[in-house]
Amino acid sequence: MTFGRKLLSATALAMVFAGATAIGGPAPAQAEAKAGGTLVIGSTQKPRHLNPAVQSGIATAVPGTQLFATPLRFDANWKPQPYLAEKWEVSDNGLDITLHLRKNATFHDGKPVTSEDLAFSLETVKANHPFKTMFAPVTSVETPDAHTAIIHLAHPHPAILLAMSSALLPVIPKHVYGDGQDLKTHPANSAPVGSGPFRFVEFNPGENVILEKNPDYFIEGRPYLDKIIIKNYKDTTSLTLAMDKGEIDMYPFLEGARNINRLKENKDLTVTSDGYAAVGPINWLAFNTKREILAKKEVRQAIAYAVDRNFITKALHAGASTIATGPITPASPFYTVDVAKYDLDLDKSKAMLDAAGYPEKDGARFSLTIDYIPGGDEQQKNVAEYIASQLKKIGIDLQVRAAPDFPTWAKRVSSHDFDLTMDIVFNWGDPVIGVHRTYLSTNIIEGVIWSNTQSYANSEVDKLLDAAAKEPDEAKRKADYVAFQKIVADDLPIYWLNLLPYHTAYSNRVGNPPLTIWGTMAPMDEVYLNN
Amino acid sequence: MTGTEQVAAPEEPGAAPLKVESPIREAWRMFLRNGSAIAGLVLLIGVILVTFIGPQVYPVDPFEIVWAPLTPPGVDASIPFGTDYLGRDVLAGIIHGGRATLAVGASAAILTVLIGIVVGALAGFYGGFVDEILMRLTEFFQVLPPLLFAMVLVALFTPTLTTVAVAIGVVSWTQTARLTRAEFLKLKQLEYVTAARAIGSRNGRIIWRVILPNALPPLIVSATLIIGVAILFEAGLSFLGLSDPNVMSWGLMIGSSRSYIIDSWWAVTLPGAAIFITVLSVSLIGDGLNDALNPKLRER
Repeated sequence: MTFGRKLLSATALAMVFAGATAIGGPAPAQAEAKAGGTLVIGSTQKPRHLNPAVQSGIATAVPGTQLFATPLRFDANWKPQPYLAEKWEVSDNGLDITLHLRKNATFHDGKPVTSEDLAFSLETVKANHPFKTMFAPVTSVETPDAHTAIIHLAHPHPAILLAMSSALLPVIPKHVYGDGQDLKTHPANSAPVGSGPFRFVEFNPGENVILEKNPDYFIEGRPYLDKIIIKNYKDTTSLTLAMDKGEIDMYPFLEGARNINRLKENKDLTVTSDGYAAVGPINWLAFNTKREILAKKEVRQAIAYAVDRNFITKALHAGASTIATGPITPASPFYTVDVAKYDLDLDKSKAMLDAAGYPEKDGARFSLTIDYIPGGDEQQKNVAEYIASQLKKIGIDLQVRAAPDFPTWAKRVSSHDFDLTMDIVFNWGDPVIGVHRTYLSTNIIEGVIWSNTQSYANSEVDKLLDAAAKEPDEAKRKADYVAFQKIVADDLPIYWLNLLPYHTAYSNRVGNPPLTIWGTMAPMDEVYLNN
Repeated sequence: MTGTEQVAAPEEPGAAPLKVESPIREAWRMFLRNGSAIAGLVLLIGVILVTFIGPQVYPVDPFEIVWAPLTPPGVDASIPFGTDYLGRDVLAGIIHGGRATLAVGASAAILTVLIGIVVGALAGFYGGFVDEILMRLTEFFQVLPPLLFAMVLVALFTPTLTTVAVAIGVVSWTQTARLTRAEFLKLKQLEYVTAARAIGSRNGRIIWRVILPNALPPLIVSATLIIGVAILFEAGLSFLGLSDPNVMSWGLMIGSSRSYIIDSWWAVTLPGAAIFITVLSVSLIGDGLNDALNPKLRER
């Protein structure tokens, strides 16, 4: 019987996984994976629709990765694993990537997944997704047969493997989305047809997303869960209470220090910071280098010397967050710790400002403003207020400029109408996707938020980043990024403060919690529930 | 007839001179008889003293981080009221923040009364078409939910103390306008107004110099109460995150510490108590003034 065999293989697999988790950490050792059950995920992020091909962000990515399968997936060690593509080859010159798709994969409407769909998806993402660097070097996609796709590149582009995972390259059916309607407003975005482990049931904007098991999923015996419900809560406090009371099974992207510490006290829950390696969410202080005073590197460094990152992580975030030392998240293989550090030193800071030509007159050297993203007080407003009180000590009058809502803040920053601003920017896995945009002088685009709004320009940095983007050899690529990190940490267009304390809280009855580099933004076909 | 005739008061030699107390003295005497009003006055004087002399006596910068964040009261003598989420001294915040809070309350109340009196006086005095227009305008403002409207106003401009005060003034003048109109409708038919008209006073003079002074008593009472409402309003807007983060005020303290209330009650409750005491004192004074200025209640 098929069901019996499925269950048997499921059990065997679960034992393998249970062994892995026993080595990996303190996760409760569950002997076997059980099929069935409904996983309820709580979130404050409300998706506009569910198609990650044309929409970035966590809210769409979590349900989107359950609905749509991608060519590849990544394990917890940043290694690509087969997913829709069972094998792939990169040519020696790095210009052609051949993907061999599984022959048994079908969309939720029963039609087979073909290389045509892959080519169509890649073109869609390239044309519509805000992360333009992901597939910019792709010149064409060749489809010699229904299950082979060859991606041709203008130059070697190592970041493309990561860009084919998680929510970044969902394979969407051409026969549904290729009907000529605008992809950004396609009706099927809110009722998607994919090939992922779960299929669409219901989407009530602002309330919930309901998904059910895809019985024809291309990986035998998966998924274990019958249903996933992503339930929206209006704020983190009510969501934390719901998690504490056991109303939900999982709370990804949990970030308030007090909420984290509260849930850590609950014996029925596990709270972990694993699963956010690829997101790389950095909370930082950005300088508008077009401002006369802030154009001087010494002034920016002097400000950094007055801001104590240890105080921010230990006192303001109650030990929940960790220090970010540079533009690349410490979890990335390209990270280097060996950069200028700016440990708190008020005397040095004052001396640097004196030397830069801003002596203290009547207790003040000059006035500046600082903006922050409204809404997340712990990471943004409180830190801005702390910086203001620190800069007062070195004779800088820093006025905190409140914005009533996100668009107001985004407009100020993207139109370069700011002196200093707090900001939160994600690495999104590969530096090409989430890091380059902030530092390339070619990406100073007025009106675009999360471009190079600092107006930072250094030709050496441009050269290094361009070289790293095209370098197929990982060691050489890392060398370029190390050099880049050293330069920007010295130029300091941005003073990186801390990583957001993203945590996932989950009930101890959840087996195989999603803790790879993409966390919950990856298919949850291995997750199961014990009762 | 040319010239007006002076009518001299008939003098009755030998009779004791009629003792006529000035209305202000009389009101003051009535006010002093009212125990709760005196309590209110004492409280308010206390609040004002703390607010205006306190900063000299307790010169800790309310924005300076002096201790570990969220330290409860009583841990150290230097921070008797504990610290907030950044480690700032809560006592310093209360002492230094009073000035801004009282300033917003007072200026919003003044603005409210000014708009209210002008609109109400014109509507009540002229009646007819002017009345129609002004009262429809008043009703328009009256049906807007005040907090929501104020939030929109503050959000449109940058949240500063001035915009907050103006927003409060703009949303809360309607009651004063209606009150003023009612007084004017009543007073404009009285003989002394007719007399003033008869001697050729212009409308402006009749409105501002003849009727208004006589309409003031209920307006003073309502203005006093509006100060309390305005302070609460400022706190409410701050609670929703709409206040100037660069100026310490009680509302700001409450607003920015609100998410810590479960673990750290002091950062919210103590400035809240300061607001409570101030609003209570103003309300008691308002009540006392109402009793003192209203002739109908005097003989109780």
